[in-house]
Amino acid sequence: MPAIELENLTRRYGARRGVEGVSLRVPAGMLFGFLGPNGAGKTTTIRVLLGLLSPTAGAARVLGYDCWRDGPRIKRELGYLPGDLRLYPWLNGLSALRMVGRIRGLDLLPAGRALAEEFALDLRVKVRAMSRGTRQKLGLLLAMAHNPRILILDEPTASLDPLMQRTLHARLRRMAAAGATVFFSSHTLSEVEELCQRVAIVREGRIVADETLEELRRSAGHEVTIRWGPGGGGPPPEPPPFLGLDRREPREWHGLLTGPVAPLLEWLRGRDIADLTIGRPDLETLFRTFYEGGEERHGRADAVSGTPVFRADGTPVAPVAPAREGDIA
Amino acid sequence: MNRGIVLKSARELLPATLLLGAAMAILQAILAYVLPTFAQQIVGNIMQIRFAQTFIEALIGAKVAPDMDAATFGTIAWTHPVALALLWAHAAIATTRVPAGEVDRGTIDVLFGLPVSRVGAYASDTLAWGAAGTVLIAAALAGHFIGSRWLPEGLRPDWARVVIVLVNMLAMYLAVGGLGALCSSFSDRRGWAIGLIFALVVTSFLVNYLAQLWEPARRFEYLSVLRYYRPLLTMRDGAWPLGGIAVLLAIGAAFWAAGAAIFARRDLTTT
Repeated sequence: MPAIELENLTRRYGARRGVEGVSLRVPAGMLFGFLGPNGAGKTTTIRVLLGLLSPTAGAARVLGYDCWRDGPRIKRELGYLPGDLRLYPWLNGLSALRMVGRIRGLDLLPAGRALAEEFALDLRVKVRAMSRGTRQKLGLLLAMAHNPRILILDEPTASLDPLMQRTLHARLRRMAAAGATVFFSSHTLSEVEELCQRVAIVREGRIVADETLEELRRSAGHEVTIRWGPGGGGPPPEPPPFLGLDRREPREWHGLLTGPVAPLLEWLRGRDIADLTIGRPDLETLFRTFYEGGEERHGRADAVSGTPVFRADGTPVAPVAPAREGDIA
Repeated sequence: MNRGIVLKSARELLPATLLLGAAMAILQAILAYVLPTFAQQIVGNIMQIRFAQTFIEALIGAKVAPDMDAATFGTIAWTHPVALALLWAHAAIATTRVPAGEVDRGTIDVLFGLPVSRVGAYASDTLAWGAAGTVLIAAALAGHFIGSRWLPEGLRPDWARVVIVLVNMLAMYLAVGGLGALCSSFSDRRGWAIGLIFALVVTSFLVNYLAQLWEPARRFEYLSVLRYYRPLLTMRDGAWPLGGIAVLLAIGAAFWAAGAAIFARRDLTTT
C-alpha cells in the first residue's frame, strides 16, 4: 500500500483550475519531491491531502484512508508544515508544544526540546517576537515532534538559512531511513536534487513528470557545449535536429542533446572542433526545460532550434500550455 | 470534543472576556444603584408623562404600570442598550474565531493539520465560548450585587428573580452565539461575520423597540430575539419564562447545527 496515493485528482475553483487529473503513488519510506513554480498546483494538491479541500473528481488517499472523510485518523500519523505558516501570536515554543500535545493527546515536550536543540530554537520566545525563519523552525518542530509516519512539508526551507536547511535535510534523511515518508514541496531544485529519491513535477495543474532523479536527468538528455576551431570555415549553418541550442555564438554553441550521444559524434566527425563537453544537466536545467516550456521557450526554440523533451523511454513529455489568467495554486 | 482545543479557545477568549466582563460589571454596578435611586426620586412624576412611559416600555420591552415601583424600575439594567451591546459584542467576538477567524489569520492550516474533526473543533470551541458567555453574565451579576449593596433594603432586587433573568439572558446569549457560529461557518473574513451578526441583532433590537411604539411593527415582533427576553415580567411576577427560554435555546441550537453542517462540508482556503 502506498503511503500517499492520488488517483486522477482534479480540483477546480469554479471556472479556475487548481489541479487536473493528477495521479501519484508515493511508497512508504520515500523522500518525495513535489516540484513546481508558484501557481502550478502544489499547494492545492497538499490541501486536498490534508482534507482542507474536497476533490472535484478523483481520489486522494493517505495510508489507505480517504483524505476527505478520514482526516483525523490520517492526521494522527501525519505531520504538516503549511507553505504560508501562521501561528497563534500568543504562543511561545513551550506553550505551542503543550497545546499541540494536548490536542494530539501526547506529551510532546521531550521530543520537542530535543528538536529545538537540534534546530537551535529558543522555546521561550513568543511567536509574535519571532523572525520568519524562527517561526518556520517552530512549525517544523510542531510537525515532527510526534514522530509522524508521513510528513508533508510545503516549501519548508523558504525562510531557513543554509545551515538550518542542512540540519533539516539530515533530519529528514534520518526519518526516511526509519521508515517515514516525506512529501516535500519545493521550487528550489537544488535541495530536491540533494535530498529526494523521486520527484514529480507539476505544471499548470498537471503532472508533467513523475520519475526518479536519474530518470529525470536522462529524460532531459545531455548538456552539450561545442567550441568551434578557427579552421574549417566556422560552424555549420544549422544544428542537427536532435540538438536544441539555447546559446549560439560564432565560436561556441550550447544546448541540450536528446537521445543517444552517438549521432552527435557522427555529425561532428570531420568538423573543426576546439573543445567538446557532454554532461548530464543539473536539475536547474531540467527545471527550465519543463517550466520555461511555455511561450518563452517556444519563442527561443523558434529562433534557434526547438527540441522537444523526451522521457527515458523516448516518449515526449506532456505538451505544455501557456498559463491562463486566474489559475491559482 | 477535544480538551486541547477547549483550552486553546478559552485562552484566546480570556482577554475579551476579562475586558467586556469588567465593563459589564461596572455598568451593572452603576445601573443597579442609580436606577432605583433615580426612580425613587422622580419615577412617579415621569410615569405620568405618556411619552416617557412609552419610552421606558420600549426599553424594557413590556407594558408597565404608571405606579411601577423603584425596585422594578431597576429592571432596566438588564435591558439597557449598553448591557445588550456588551453581551452581543462578546457573543460576536467569541463565536467568529472558528472558523472565520482561523481562516482569516491563516492559522486554520495548523489547526487542521492536527488530528481533530471539523465538528469536533467546532463543538470544542462552542464549549469554550459558552463558558466565556456564562462568565460574562456572572460578571454582570457580580456588578449588580455590588451596586445594590448601597441601596436601602427595600430597593434591593429579589436575587432569586435576578437569577431567573440571568438564565434568560444566557439563553439569549446562546441564541446570538448560535447565529454567530452560523455566520462564522460560511465566512472567510471575521470582520465580515461580526458585521453580519451585529446587523442582525441591531435589527432585532429595533424591531422590538418599534413594536412597542408602532402598532404595525407588532406583526414582526416575534422575529426579534428580545421578544423572548422579558426581565420585567420575571422581576415583577417571579415566574420562569420557560417559553422564551425554550425558543431562544431552539433558535441557538438550530443556527449552531446549521453552522456545524456547513463547516463540515466547506472548503478551507487561506489564499
